[in-house]
Parts: sequence; C-alpha cells; structure tokens
Amino acid sequence: MIHTETKADYSTNTNKMSVITPEIQSLIDPVVSGLKRHQIVGDKVIALAICHLLMKVISAARWTNPYDLINIIRKVGTILNTGYPKKIISGNIVRRVLALIRDEIETENNDNTPMMSSMFSLLSTNSTGNQKVQYNQSKKQSSDFRSIIIQGIRDLEDEIANVNEGIETMSVDLIHDNEILLTPTPTSETVLQFLIKARAKRKFTVLVTESFPNDINTSHKFVKKLAENKIETILIPDSTVYAVMSRVGKVIIGSSAVFANGGCLSNSGVTHVVECAKEHRTPVFALAGLYKLSPLYPFNGDDLIEVGNSGKVLNYDDFKLIENVEIVTNPLDDYISPEHIDIYITNVGGFAPSFIYRIVLDNYKTEDNNLE
Amino acid sequence: MSENSKPVEASGSVESEGKTLSNKELKELKKKEKAAKRAAEKEAKGISIEDQKKIAEQKIEKNKQVTTNTKLKKQLNQTLIKVEDKNRIPSLFSHLETREQRNAQSPSISHIVHPAILSLTLKYSSYKIVGSTSRLKNMLQAFKTVINDYKTPINTTLTRHLTGHLSVQIEYLKTARPLSVSMGNAIRWLKQEISHISIDTTEIQAKEILVSKIDDFIKEKIDFSDQVIIEAASQHITNNCTILTYGHSQVLEELFKYCAIEQDKTFNLIIVDSRPLFEGKKLLINLANTYNIPESDEPESDLESISTKGFKQHPITQSNLKIHYVLLNSLSPVILEDVDYVFLGAHAMLSNGRLYARVGTALIAMMCHTRNIPVLTCCESVKFSDKVQLDSVTTNELADVDDLLQSINSKKPPQKKSFALEQFIKQCEEEKKAENKSNSKNKQQQQHQQQQQKKSGDISINEDLTTDESPIKNWRDIPNLNILNIMYDLTPPEYIKKVITELGSLPPSSVPVILREYKNT
Repeated sequence: MIHTETKADYSTNTNKMSVITPEIQSLIDPVVSGLKRHQIVGDKVIALAICHLLMKVISAARWTNPYDLINIIRKVGTILNTGYPKKIISGNIVRRVLALIRDEIETENNDNTPMMSSMFSLLSTNSTGNQKVQYNQSKKQSSDFRSIIIQGIRDLEDEIANVNEGIETMSVDLIHDNEILLTPTPTSETVLQFLIKARAKRKFTVLVTESFPNDINTSHKFVKKLAENKIETILIPDSTVYAVMSRVGKVIIGSSAVFANGGCLSNSGVTHVVECAKEHRTPVFALAGLYKLSPLYPFNGDDLIEVGNSGKVLNYDDFKLIENVEIVTNPLDDYISPEHIDIYITNVGGFAPSFIYRIVLDNYKTEDNNLE
Repeated sequence: MSENSKPVEASGSVESEGKTLSNKELKELKKKEKAAKRAAEKEAKGISIEDQKKIAEQKIEKNKQVTTNTKLKKQLNQTLIKVEDKNRIPSLFSHLETREQRNAQSPSISHIVHPAILSLTLKYSSYKIVGSTSRLKNMLQAFKTVINDYKTPINTTLTRHLTGHLSVQIEYLKTARPLSVSMGNAIRWLKQEISHISIDTTEIQAKEILVSKIDDFIKEKIDFSDQVIIEAASQHITNNCTILTYGHSQVLEELFKYCAIEQDKTFNLIIVDSRPLFEGKKLLINLANTYNIPESDEPESDLESISTKGFKQHPITQSNLKIHYVLLNSLSPVILEDVDYVFLGAHAMLSNGRLYARVGTALIAMMCHTRNIPVLTCCESVKFSDKVQLDSVTTNELADVDDLLQSINSKKPPQKKSFALEQFIKQCEEEKKAENKSNSKNKQQQQHQQQQQKKSGDISINEDLTTDESPIKNWRDIPNLNILNIMYDLTPPEYIKKVITELGSLPPSSVPVILREYKNT
C-alpha cells in the first residue's frame, strides 16, 4: 500500500516539473544558508525556524489537491536536508507537518468512505489509492484545509517551545536527595532546566565535564548557571570521568536526535561517558523533546557525525606540528547506541530505548520516512 | 653594670607612656629585670662580671640561631596558610591534600636547601619536568650535586648526618608536588646505601661511592631497563599496524623512536591527548624533532648517508610514522576500529595489579578492552609499589584548579608561576590596596582613569581572544561552584593484557611477585 502511494506521489511530482516556485525558493534560501553557516544554532531554535518556514510555504504555495501540498513540503524537506544533512531535526519537523497533513486528509476522506479496519483492507486499498490522487478540493475547502494545517503547525510550535516543561516535571521522580549526578552535555538547555527544576525539591551534586575543545566556554557558563541556582556543582576535565564514575548515581545526557532504534546523537565525548557508566552499572538518562525523535535508522553511525574545525585541536599556526601529523579529527557529535541508555525522558513521558519506535510511529507516517 | 640601670629607665617610661607599650615589650622588660637579679645573685656567689657577660653572649648567640630558624618557619607558614581558606575542594574529595596543606605541613627551611633542589622544585611545580621517569632522573641528578657539595659538620659522621640533610631537601621538594612512587623507591634505596657506608671511609671517598652508585642506579634501573622493555615491546609493533597511546611516557617515546629508526618500521600512531597538561603534544613534538639520520660516528654509516641523503631532512613523523592526533573527547568508536595495540605509560603499578597513571588512562583502557584491543603497559620495576588501592578517588594528587581556567582555548599546558612568586605578587597586591585606601580621592580618580584606559587597551588587544578567558575565572566568589583537577586514575587489572617490565612480561596479577623479588635484591 505504501509503495503504490509513493509511486503516485512521484508521478504527480514529475508531471509538474518544479513544485517549488521562485517565491517559495526565496523563503527557503535564507533558512538553508543560515543552517549551513551555523547562524541558526540550538536545536529548539532550528525546530522553530523550520516550523515558521513551513507555515510561510503553506500560505504562499498554490495548490488545489492536498497531495500537491504534500509534494511541495516534501521537496522543501529534501532541500533542507541537502542543505544541512547532519541536522536531523529539520527533517523531523518536515515529517511531523507531513503527518499532520496526511491525518487531515484521512479524516476528510473518512467522511466519504468508511474506515476499513479489517485484514481485507490490505488487499483492497489499491483502488482507494488511485481515488485519492484524483481527489480535488473546492476553493473553500482548500482554504479551510490551509487554516487547519497552519493551526496544526502553531500547535507544534507551542509543543516545541514548551518542551522543557514536560520533561522538567519528571525530574523530581528521578532524582533523590543527596544524589550525585554527572552530565557530559553542558550544551543542552533541557538538561539545565531539568536540573534547576529538580533543585526546587531535591538537594544534589552535579558533576559537569568540560567538553574540550568545542564546548568548553558553554560548559563553564553552564556550571556558573547551575551554581547560581544553588546546585552544588563540580567542574571536571573530560579525562576524570572514569575516576569519579564510582561515586556517580546517575548520568544525565542531552541529545540532539533520537533514532527509531533507540540510539541517539549527542555531543562528542558522550560515548566514553556512557560506556564508563555501563561499566560501573550507573543508570543513564537521555533527555529529548518529542521533536528530536526521528523515524530514521542509523544504519551507518559514521555518516551522522559532523566533523568540526580541527584547528581547535591543533592550532594552525603550529605549523611544525601540523606538517608532521597525518590526521587531526574533531568530531562534533557522537552516536550513542541504545544499549548504553536506560531511559529516554521526553515531554510525553519516559520510555525505554526499545520502545522508541512506537512513539515514532505515533508521530510520523511511514510513507514520509524517505522524503525524496 | 649598664644593664642594671636600663630596666629602671624603661620601667619609668612604662609609667610615663602608659599603655603604649605592647605585651612583648613588657615581657622583655621583665626578662631584663630577671637577668639583672640573676647577675646580682651570681656576683654575690663570686662569679666576675666579665665571665657573666661571656656566658650571656654565648647564650644569646645560641638563642639567636634558634630564633632565626623558628622565625623563618613562622614566616613561611604564615605566608602559606593565607591561601588555604580560598581554595575550596568539593566535599567528595575533601580528604585529598591540597598544595597549601602540604606546604603548611612540611617545615621548609629554605636556607639549608641546596640551590639544585630549589631549581628542581621550581621545575616540578611549573610542570617543566613532568612524568615519573624524568622526575626521578632529575631528582637523582640533583642529589648528586647535593652530595658533592655536602660537608659533614663537626662531631657527626656522614652516615648519620647526610640522611637527615637529604630529608630536608626532600621535604622541600615535596612542596612542589608529592613524591612519585618511583622517587619514593629511589629515596629509600639511597638512604639505605648511605647507611651502608662504613664510618671509617673518608668523606671524599664516601661521596665518590655514593655518586657512582647513583649513576649506576640511573643506568641500571632506568636506562638499561628501558632498553630491555623497548626490545620486548617492539615485537608488538609490526609494519603498517596501528598503535594507540595516551599522553606522554618516556619509555614509549623511546619505543616509537626505536621502532622507526633502528628497526625502520612504518606504522600508524594515534596520539590521544587531554587537557590541561597536553602531554600528547609533548610526545608529538619530540617525535617530530627526531630525524632518521644514521649516526656519523659509525664508519659504516658514511656510505649509507650518501645513499640516504634524501631521507636526511625528514623527521620520523614523515618518513616512518603516520600520526593521528585526537583529543580524548573525540575518541569515538570510529577511531578505535582498526587499532591493533594500545600502549600505556605508568606512574606506578600497585600491588593488587592496578595501574596508577595519568588521569584518562583508565578510560582509554576501558574503551579498548570492551572492543577487544589488547592493552599493554610498559613500566620499569622502580615504579612498582607495595601499596594497594581500589578506587581512584581515595588517594590521588590534587593539581592546581587554576590550570583548568587559564586561557581555556590555548591548547597549551598551563603557564605556571612558582608558589613563592604567587605569594609575592599577592603580598604586593595587598600592599597596593592598603596604599590605595590611604590615598586621597584625587588619586583614586586618577587610578580609575588609568584602569579605564587599561581596560580599553585590553579590549582592543584581546578582542579576538575574548573567548580565551573562562567565564568562571572568579569561581571562588561563587559559593556552590567547585572545580576538581586530579592527576591520576586507577586502571583495574582486567583491562590490562600485559605489563612489560625489564624483568619480563607478565600479567598485572604478578606484580606482587616482582615486588618480592625486587625487595630481596
């Protein structure tokens, strides 16, 4: 069923040579270049920027058939993805919006055709798929549809903006008094808010790694903020993790993307922290907003990792060393496999990594997993 | 007697000046009165005044010696204690000794410390000399000069007095950093050697014996041991294999050089490095400064040198080694994928088979162990210790916190000032503050202007380097903030496949066996 539908989508795609009008292109370009130049930074900011872009695209685009809209959004998704392939979040938002549209189409269709819930529907959907392609809306209907979708994106924006609140509420359940926590992701705003919220009810100590070389400034600022919120904070160099792990009660990590298999992307250096935690049987929590969940599978973990400025590892003016070194690497992310994480805490509750695929299915449509 | 008249005058002045005299002065007055009384008594007994004076002078001189010593101690201690309340240690690690505590404990008497030790202490504390082996070597060299310059005082023998003299030097040396295990072992050995010297040997002879023994110790326990270890370890490095190492270790540096130059092997070397000491960079620099030049002293090489002239210009890092330099944080599974062996340096091998080494070593050993990469460690038997420890936190060396906060993006080891200099600067600052307070408002305004000028100047210079300054430079003012900077961690024996020593290669569980053998000889 999925197969035929995507085929149908493709056929419409090829019929109209370019779904992206110059008008839409001009909307996308600043966002793509902003992502490329790392001007739009922070997962939440990126997510909101994409939402905003999609909203503009939907109101700017001309379409009669809702499937045309889906094609446009998909095309926008591919452009965003090729613009900055390592950022999973932009793809997630696009897929969320697509799922929104598809849900809306389904509810409208359900008025016409009764919902088929039996096994027989597996065989009989072929004809309904063709019907959908021909299905056209009147002008009034389409404007209604547009406003419904835009309202849906607004709700999504709200969800993203308030993502920390959902996660924070769980903090008290997970931290006990006088506990020692360790976090290797000082870049995560979610972790910061989580800890500050927990401090209201609990007294605990937080160990924070320095995350040299990429996030050392952020890390020092993070530590300062924690201390200002009356949390007992200890800054440790990255190398000290093993030495102190025997004292740590829980490891809390922030994540930049969560995959359907339960693995996630996080800052560089988190792999050895979670492995160390595993070795010491210390539980690991990963905090992630729902919008970070991705329907993709990390078949090749290396492809997902972005590589940063190697001048941060070895100064370029140190040419004597530079010319004597074959490779200098500075990865920005690390892929963390699902067996190293005990629980994911999202704004819709806590889940084991093995259950993430179900949450993904709830929020995305499988036909959109591949945007191209 | 002139003294007799003084107290009277003084007591008169007490009455006239009232409370202006301090307790100290009052005490002195009383002493003098007593002395006068005693003198009178003695005179009555029949001792002449001149004799009395002589005796008194002798006593005073004695007292002076004592007082200067105690005064020095007092001064030193006073300067040391000042800092203590400012350095906070996280409660979890409060049992670890800070540098200030260590310095306050050791009664450092700087005037009998040998200059060689003074300079060595400075080099230790500024991390100019770092690493167990080089610290040991330099200490023994310094001891040689100390022994050479040593003169046995009258009424004592060298055997008895020299150990005490050395202990003072060692005490002072400890103010820089605590002794390493190898240094402790060497000191124990040296003291034993000193005690073995018979009383009949002359001072010059005894010195010669000791110096030659120290030379032998360096040769036997460090240089030759390293060679044996290198030869044993080099069999693991084959052409085109990938070796991973962490930080800097003297033996390993020699090993890589040996494999590249003597054995002409080509291999990939992954150097993992970490903040704040950047010892991996030191290894990299040392390797980059090593050239594959056949030695010109040998007659054979003359012919070779012509043929290998092209090679002459290239350091071994370009001709034989492919170096991959990463920081500890970037040590992702991708890099570890095709590592054949991991070589780790050691600070000490503990009796329960645990490896006590630079912090971060355990992390690397763990990651490689879980990926089935053999972890080898090269360790001379001097570094073996009969201590047992289960946990990195219980015993460790606390390093200076400010090492982590100075120029956080510089990628260079911390530029340290010596402890004495820090103290001096602090004193100067305090004096300045006191002066500022007493100064008039006009001057303050002037200073304000100057400061503002300074600030604006600083900004213009540091515009690009603003990120270099840590946002928590003033962490001491933030009550809940602590920073932990420890030097070592403990690697459990199950991560280590093999310990290569000069006595052979063995599993970590056999460390106590070596210890027993070593102690017997």
